[in-house]
Amino acid sequence: MQTRRDFLRASAVAGGALVVGVGLDGRVFAAADKARVFGPNVWVRIEPSGKTFLTIGKQEMGQGVRTSLAMILAEELDADWTQVNLVQASPGPEFKDLGTGGSWSVGGSWKKLRLAGAAAREMLVAAAAARWGVAADGCRTENGTVVNGARKLRYGELVAAAAKLPVPATPKLKALADFRLVGARTKRLDGPRIVDGTARYGIDVKVPGLLYASIERPPAAGASAASVEDAAARAVAGVKGVVAFERGVAVVASGTWAALKGRNALKISWSSPSDRGFDSDEHWQKLESGVAEPGVVTRKVGAAPAAGGKVVSARYYYPFAAHAPVEPMNCVAQVKDGRCRIWVPTQAPNSVQRHVAEALGIAPEAVEVTPQLVGGGFGRRLNADYAVEAAQLARKLGAPAPVQVLWTRPDDMRHGHFQAASIHDMWGAVDGKRAVGWRHKKVSSPHNLSGPPTAEDLADPVAYWQDSSWGAYDVPYAFPSIETSYVRVDAPIPIGPWRAVFSPSSTFARESFVDELAHAAGADPLAFRLAHLDDQTVKIGSLNVDRRRLRRVLELVAEKAGWATPPPPGRFRGLACNVYDGETHVAYVVEVSVPPGRPPDQLPFIVHRVVCALDCGVIINPLGIEQQVDSGVVWGLSNMKGEITFKDGRAEQGTYKDFPVARMSEAPVVEVHLVPSHGEQPFGIGEPTVPPLAPAVANALFAATGRRLRRLPIRLSG
Amino acid sequence: MAPTIVVVNRRRRAVTADADTPLLWVLRDELGLTGTKYGCGVGICGACTVLEDGRAVRSCQVPLSEAAGKSFTTIEGLSSDGSHRCQKAWIEEDVAQCGYCQAGMILSACALLEEKPEPSDADIDEVMDRQVCRCGSYARIRKAIHRAARAARAAR
Repeated sequence: MQTRRDFLRASAVAGGALVVGVGLDGRVFAAADKARVFGPNVWVRIEPSGKTFLTIGKQEMGQGVRTSLAMILAEELDADWTQVNLVQASPGPEFKDLGTGGSWSVGGSWKKLRLAGAAAREMLVAAAAARWGVAADGCRTENGTVVNGARKLRYGELVAAAAKLPVPATPKLKALADFRLVGARTKRLDGPRIVDGTARYGIDVKVPGLLYASIERPPAAGASAASVEDAAARAVAGVKGVVAFERGVAVVASGTWAALKGRNALKISWSSPSDRGFDSDEHWQKLESGVAEPGVVTRKVGAAPAAGGKVVSARYYYPFAAHAPVEPMNCVAQVKDGRCRIWVPTQAPNSVQRHVAEALGIAPEAVEVTPQLVGGGFGRRLNADYAVEAAQLARKLGAPAPVQVLWTRPDDMRHGHFQAASIHDMWGAVDGKRAVGWRHKKVSSPHNLSGPPTAEDLADPVAYWQDSSWGAYDVPYAFPSIETSYVRVDAPIPIGPWRAVFSPSSTFARESFVDELAHAAGADPLAFRLAHLDDQTVKIGSLNVDRRRLRRVLELVAEKAGWATPPPPGRFRGLACNVYDGETHVAYVVEVSVPPGRPPDQLPFIVHRVVCALDCGVIINPLGIEQQVDSGVVWGLSNMKGEITFKDGRAEQGTYKDFPVARMSEAPVVEVHLVPSHGEQPFGIGEPTVPPLAPAVANALFAATGRRLRRLPIRLSG
Repeated sequence: MAPTIVVVNRRRRAVTADADTPLLWVLRDELGLTGTKYGCGVGICGACTVLEDGRAVRSCQVPLSEAAGKSFTTIEGLSSDGSHRCQKAWIEEDVAQCGYCQAGMILSACALLEEKPEPSDADIDEVMDRQVCRCGSYARIRKAIHRAARAARAAR
């Protein structure tokens, strides 16, 4: 069965290519360098100068992973942070899992990187101890030096000796209490290059002889170019050619503008797809009909509640959504001498390597992928489609020149994959101040980027549909009767992961409906939640949900937000919480007001303040965590504004006007409170901050207006 | 085709490109100044913002014919060493996440501060609402703008 994590880790399946790390400064480790550097493993290299190179095996897309992973390595290495340089790993035998998704970079790299840093440090200490003729355990390390009494040796002075020592298999790790760097507020290492314009994203790749292409793609799946009139396009100065290929019709030019102009001058008649094409209004009707289906029960606790008590039911509606990163999809590809070179901003370099190799019919080893900085990922760049497309075009060109395919903004919004629309049919019963029954049926479309679920996938249907409905089946509350289910309604458009994968819709419905039950029970929404959270850690599907940790973040957020005291006049509070993927625990309290006369393109309410309490296990970088809360809050607000609709197989939106995202004036003040962690494992932060935001706002809107917001997006006027 | 003269980052540049080529693509493809980003091409997102004599303009909306003879500053020309007060404030507040939109953000902030040295939150909203950051770094951008304003005040 392909689990969510398998899907995210599909990039792990890879052959080997060159093991070449390229730093953002363009530095390449050639084999010759290896002789004079200390490189006990692929993660750490130290030069005689003391310059320290740390390899980053995950993709930076704003979540701060180049900084947080470097912090983990540098902590165990006791490196001099000012000497740290980053090397971005490329797919190869030593880097088979560069895929970045599911908020699993830090959690999944933690042990491996600690061991790598600690092994290097132990070897440097052994080299110093040997030189001084003292016992290794009489030495300590700090800031890139080994210290013994008054004696000190810089790591750079030890590299030659250390390189001759055996690499310890089980180096001693630091005690968490001894951490100096991990846990400290640390600014991102890429910051200076971002503010001076020298940071290079995928779109910025310039290689000698580069050609530029813009592709007119079929408007709907299944259509193909029946005829192409390209004389006007070819007449545009700078246009080198017009190429029809597997993915559409490409205009190839000496510059981006000529390519775009040429593309606009194309006249293409498309064959009609075999059916009339996808229509989201019709799809909504299918989803609505799906509610009557029994679906697959994804979790069952207790027997159905006895009659009596108060019964509440409601349906929640959640739209199709695009990712809309500000850097649109792009890729540079070159096919030459049976090999392919790819420069791409991707979340999944190994997957790119594998898919490009498959498409070109060459060995994965013949595909060299150089991952670039990513100008926003959000799950969109887990899909290798745009790299495969560029490679197919490069092959079709037959010229050895590299070609950059740049997607326009409308291309990006219309031709990617989407967060699936869903309906959540909710039912609950309360008796006094306690819930006695809970049902949550999710009606939606499964991810299909690697095809629809196979028979093998569905061999364990419960596990499969749990994976598509987390946020629903892993409802954390200790309700005596729970039934969650999933009804599958396929959508013939690409459906795949979004930020927080498949969780936001389910969490929106669940946390809003918990509020409805609290209201029906005449209970305070906080008290109602706490009353249904005991001290147990419960195994739900493959997840461990620790209700005690969830209680703690709820109690903390309530304390910090002043839940027990009235909000300022005119403001109203809402609350929501979530355990993301059994790992990071998040609670929000938001304060909103609903002033009349909001601009038509803005949300009809103002979120003034968001208080967040969060437990993500071991804290690597508090500053980075705070950023990700800011980020999740704004993403959650955008989630309340934008919707993709389809007519005749085509997405109708194509700009930040018709798929609006939150802007500066809508961004609230965000306060973050981290729960001191226990345990020795860090968890992710890029995604967990998203799902509970929209329901917290919706619950505040109920407090403000007495009306339940059960359909996203909020209809913006105008 | 006769070259068009544009001043970019205080240097006179002779550009040979069609008159309708947006300044954005002149900067990126002809002059190799990739710090200016493409985000939408229709003036909605602000990623391509540059300064024209201190005023923020969308380089995707300025054809070369209109840019002729004018003087522009891109993120690469804001300072030689990252020492402009906005760049420093951006670092101090650790604003960037993916960072892709930030050149446009910084240059818009520069133009705002030029016009209003001590902007209120409402002033900031009005100007910065024209820019999209999909990572949601807005709160830190606001702090950085106030910080840059304070730095300028302290220097006066």
